Formats: sequence, structure tokens, C-alpha cells
Amino acid sequence: MEIPISYYLLLSGILFTIGVVGVLTRRNAIVVFMSIELMLNAVNLTLVAFSKQFNSLDGQIFVFFVMVVAAAEVAVGLALIVAIFRLKQTVSIDKINIMKW
Amino acid sequence: MNPSEIIQNNINSLSYFLPELILTGMIVVLIIADLLLKKENSAWTSLLALGGLVIAFVAVLNQYDLGSRSIFNDMLAVDPFALYFKLLFLTSAAFVVLLSIGSVELAGRPVGEYFTLMTALTLGLFLMASATNLITIFISIEFVSVTSFILATYLKTRRRSSEAGLKYTIYGAFSSGLMLYGISILYGLTGTLDIYEIGTKLAASSANSLALLISIILMLAGFGYKLAAVPFHFWAPDVYEGAPTPITAFFSVGPKAAGFALLIRFFNVAFATEATNGEWAAIAGVNWSQLLAVVAAATMTLGNLVAIVQKNVKRLLAYSSIAHAGYALMGVVLLSDQGVYATLFYLVVYYLMNIGAFLVVIVVQDLVGSESIDDYKGLIWRAPLPAIAMGVFLFSLTGLPPTAGFIGKFYLFAALIKGGPGFYWLAVVAIINSVISLYYYARILKAMYFDQQDEKEPASLAVSPYYVVLLIALVVPTIFLGVYWAPLADLANYSVEFLRAL
Amino acid sequence: MSLFDVIFYLFAAFTLASAALMVVSKNIVHSAVGLLFSFFGVAGIYVLLAADFLAVVQVLVYVGGILILLLFGVMLTQRITSVDMRTGTLQLVPAILAVAGIFVILFRVIRTTSWNIVPEAEAQFIPTAEKIGYLLMTDFLIPFEIVSVLLLAALIGAAFIARKGT
Repeated sequence: MEIPISYYLLLSGILFTIGVVGVLTRRNAIVVFMSIELMLNAVNLTLVAFSKQFNSLDGQIFVFFVMVVAAAEVAVGLALIVAIFRLKQTVSIDKINIMKW
Repeated sequence: MNPSEIIQNNINSLSYFLPELILTGMIVVLIIADLLLKKENSAWTSLLALGGLVIAFVAVLNQYDLGSRSIFNDMLAVDPFALYFKLLFLTSAAFVVLLSIGSVELAGRPVGEYFTLMTALTLGLFLMASATNLITIFISIEFVSVTSFILATYLKTRRRSSEAGLKYTIYGAFSSGLMLYGISILYGLTGTLDIYEIGTKLAASSANSLALLISIILMLAGFGYKLAAVPFHFWAPDVYEGAPTPITAFFSVGPKAAGFALLIRFFNVAFATEATNGEWAAIAGVNWSQLLAVVAAATMTLGNLVAIVQKNVKRLLAYSSIAHAGYALMGVVLLSDQGVYATLFYLVVYYLMNIGAFLVVIVVQDLVGSESIDDYKGLIWRAPLPAIAMGVFLFSLTGLPPTAGFIGKFYLFAALIKGGPGFYWLAVVAIINSVISLYYYARILKAMYFDQQDEKEPASLAVSPYYVVLLIALVVPTIFLGVYWAPLADLANYSVEFLRAL
Repeated sequence: MSLFDVIFYLFAAFTLASAALMVVSKNIVHSAVGLLFSFFGVAGIYVLLAADFLAVVQVLVYVGGILILLLFGVMLTQRITSVDMRTGTLQLVPAILAVAGIFVILFRVIRTTSWNIVPEAEAQFIPTAEKIGYLLMTDFLIPFEIVSVLLLAALIGAAFIARKGT
């Protein structure tokens, strides 16, 4: 295989950075969750690349667990968004301002 | 290892996993009980939860003669260090159940889910205290996070509570993303997920120190989030204010202590090599103990400075608990048995005085319906017992004798001074901080003891006997440990021993 | 450049472009579509890395589960696109600067580290599903059981929070 591992790492580094940009700049809670998913995908990519490098499945197993936990987190997060929307009719985190952000 | 050995190891490990199995069983029992019980009998669920915690407590005590060992193919460790934290989690969970039973805030809300999730949270804390593999570390942190998100939102019909929950979730997911990136770099550097192997591999080879430093900083995001250490403390004040007060009390003790357990175990096994006389050396290339020292100093300073301007007692206690995480971190940066010992001791002391302070907040909330410092005015004349108890807890939080807080801080400072001149500056910062904290704790004391109450308030408030018993149950040990602390000190000393190598 | 390389660059560009679209887009549905393509791109890269099981799980869990959940969130909370979501310029500049700093450091880390290279095994493809299933039932049994309890707790909690009333 000709693609060196650093290319995969670089790809994941860029993906991670895009995710961080999304979390820091977007104010819509759902988009923030999407950006966090992007970050997790970048992490997963790194782990799979290393897993291939070390010729061991440990990294892939870790990715499997990351996916499970991400699903649980998103489920709870969206339930929260729905609950808040019921109270306030907005999901923008700028408008959620009873308490200082 | 061949497959049958691995499976045999898993089966043999079950007997060392008894407390966790009891808690898991309890989760299922609580769900079923909630289905079967009629609404008017739902109070039984709380007693059921309490019973489960007591049984688990006995099971943990029984593990003391097992010694240190690694279970489930090196996924978790059972050692005195983990047991110490497990006992702390169970007692605080039991206290929180007791606080919840009396709480007016929670009256009329479904109890089944509440106690189920609280048992689940306790299970997560158990796993955090004993995780020895990056996978179990990650899963246990997330376990605690997800259950905490839900419990913080338990008063979901109140805006404050649900918004606190959302903020908590977003910060939590973000910091776990950062931590995962750190974990993946660490995996790339060492090729293993087992923290013992990581330790030996990092000690043997000189890894790229920049990569290692980035990995450590990113992982600190995950741990710092659980400790509510600067700069990952943003969620704490809002969540503490928005969550039901018993849950706030639990958050300020349980997940924080579990974060310390994880931090101490992980950093000392993976990123340090043992030298002599119960002292370690940080691995070459990355001076993470200085990094942690800076975090500790920043955490206590920020917590104390922002606490000064708070008008809401619950929020003030939130900032004070951030500051206390900074104090407790001082023991971790020393890289010595004595430092860890001081931290362990301090966490128990902190548990007593902090839960106590929150109990007074609950009592006053139920009587007056407010958490503002202004409504604490003249409390001594209206409800003497909570006011006196609060005085004891605040004295202890400041670290004045003859309370447990004094002894806890004394141990921390003693360890710091003994650790050599490298950390004298941290001791100075901590002393200045203690003085600052005196100022804002004294504000509450002044309001309670010296300020005149407004005319419209009733002359005296009746505190229910249930709360009286709970208050006494917390005040007595807070003072008692300030006078005779040897048993706890011995236990903490014994618990410094954790599984350092396989 | 072999065919393998071409496919890698294609997937990489595809993933990054859709990720950027997701973050930049002002329309939340466009963001969701960007995320969808990004997930698919990552799944493609998994295939290139010989992680066949994870590629399928990626499509099933991320695309089929998490993304659908997010879309439900969009539909339940938004009058679809009516809410204006402006990005505050004040926060944008420091955020971009900070992130650029992070990226430069990451870039240096990636380029300068010799990633513990193990001699590449013979380039033959071995399906991973069986081995992963085996590992989950032996070495990683306890994390597997723990996440099942975690999912149960999340299920109870999400149902509790999302339902009407107290």
C-alpha cells in the first residue's frame, strides 16, 4: 500500500479541526451536536488507521465502543433539545440565556 | 493467552465483581418495582434503592481481604485504592437518597427513573475508580456523563434545569471528543490500550515529547471536565444551580472524586516510573506534574475569585467546589504516596462538609423557598439548628480548626512542603486562596448570624425532625474528624496502595 | 499513482468537502446532508483501511441511526428552515485563530512523529467481523456488557426527558 499512515492522520486532523470550528462558531444546538459527531469520526479514523498499522484489532474495537457511546449521547442530547423546545420554542444556544453561557 | 483461558479469566473475575453486579441487579429491580408499584406506594422505591446501596456496601467491605488484583483480562482493578473510593461513592449516594426523600423540589415527580439512574450513576463511578484500560476508562467516563446529563435535567419542566442539562451535554460531548483524540494519539504512540503496557512502553522508548504532550493535554480535557477544573469548569455553576439540589450535592462529590481516582491511577501508572520511598518520577520529556500544578492553581484561584460576587448560595457553593478541586489536586501533582494520601483524606472530608452545606441549602429552600443569601438573614433566630450546622460546615470548608476541613488542608500543606521547594509557590497560592475563601464564607455567616431579618418573615421556622437527624449525622463527624482523625487517616494510608504493575 | 491512491484522494476530498459544507451552511437541512456525505466518505476510507466490519457499522449506526435521530430533532424543533441562524462575527475570529493554532500543532505532531511503524503485513485482506465478534466475547467482554447497561440508562433517560408532563 502506498498511502503512508501520516496521510490518514492528516485527513483525520483536518476533519477534527473542522468539527472544532463547528462547535466553537455555530450557535444552533443541533449543528453543534453534528460538529461533535464529526470530531468523533475523525478520532475513529485515527484509531482505524493505527489499528491497521499495528496489525491489531484493538483500535477497531475502540471505534465500535465510541460509536455506541455517541449514539447514546445523541439520543439524550436530542431528548433534551425537544424538552427545551417545548418550554421555549428555540434551539439556538444564544437565546438560551437565563443563565450566563 | 488461548481462548479458554480468557473465558476462564472472565468467569473467575465475576466473584470479584460482586458489588457492581449488585448495583446492576438493583437497576433492573428498580425498573420492575416502578412498573408494579402503584403511585401512592412509590416511596418504597427509595427504600429499595437505599437497601441496594447498603448491600453493595457490605459486598465492598468483604472485598478487603482479597488484596490487589486485575480482573476481566486487565480491564479493571480491584485494590484498596478502588475500594476506598467505592465506599465513598456508596455513602454519598446513600446520603443523597436520604436527601431526595425529604426534598420538596422533587415531590410529585416520578421516582422510579430517578433512583434507577442514580444507581446507574453509582455503578459508573465504581467503574471509573477501577478502570485500567483506555476502553474501560472511556466507557466509564461516558457512563457517568450520560446518567449525569439526565439527572441534571430531572426538573425538566423548569427552564433552569433543562437548559443546564443541555449545556452540560454539549460541554460533555465536546470534552469527550477532545479526550478521545488524545487517547487515539496515545494509542498511536504505544500500540496498546492497556495502561500498564503504555507505562512500560513509554518508559522504555523515548516517544516524541510534543506528541505526548498534546495527547496528555487533550486527555486532561476529559478528566478536567469531571473534576470541574479550569478551563473545563464552565458547566459547573449552571448545572449546580439548575439541577435538583440533592443531585447537585451528589455531582459535587461523586463524579469529582471519581475523576480524581481515575486521574491518579492513570497518570501514575501510564506516565510515571516508580522510584524510591513511595515517590515517582514523571516520564522523560513531559513534565505533566508542573502542568497539573498550574491547573490546580488556576482552578482554586478562579473558583474563589468568582465565588466572591455570587448572590445565590447554591451558585456560590458551586464555585467553592471548583476551588476545592484545586486544593485536592495539590496532592496529585506531588507524585508521592504522601500526596495521594492527603488527597484521599481530603476528598472524604470534603464530602462530609459539602454534602452538609447542600443539606442546609435544601432545608432553607424548603422553609423559605429561596437560595439567595439575602434570605439567609437572621436565620439563627428563625431556625437555629440549620444556621449553626451551616456555620460548622463553612468553618470546615474554610479550613479552620477544630473541624475536619482543617485537618484535611493540614495534610495537603504538609505533603506539599515535604515535597520540596519545587511546589512552595503552589502552597503560597493555596494559602492566599484560603484567605480569599474566608471572605465569602464569612458573608453567609454574617447574613445568618448578624443581619436583621425583614419584618415580613415569620418569627421562627419549624425544621422537620427528619432533617434534624440528617444535619446532626453530618455535623458530628465534621467536628469529630477535626479532633480525632486517626481511623480515617489510617484507612486513607492503607488505600494509597493501588495496582501499579501486573 | 495507483488506482488505490486515486480512490483515497477522492474519498478524502469528498469527506472534507462535505464536512466543510456541514459547518458553513446556514441551512440546517443542508448541514445534515453535508454530515451524511461526510459519514459515507469516512466509511469509504474504512474500506481502504481494510476495516470492513466498521465500514458497515458506520453506515448502519451513523447514517442509519444518529443522523436520522438528528434529522428528527430538526423536524421536531424547527419550523424547518424558518429560524435564522446567524454566526456571530465576534466569536468567529478568535475561534478561527485558536483552531488554526491547534491545527498547526496537530500538523507538526503528525509530521514529526515516527509512528511506531510495524512492518506492514502481507497485503491480503482478512475479513474482520468474525475476529471482532470473537474479541467482544472474550477480551472485551466487560466493556461490552457495560455499554449495554449504559444504553439501557440512556434509553430510560431519553424517554423520560422527551415525554410530556413531569
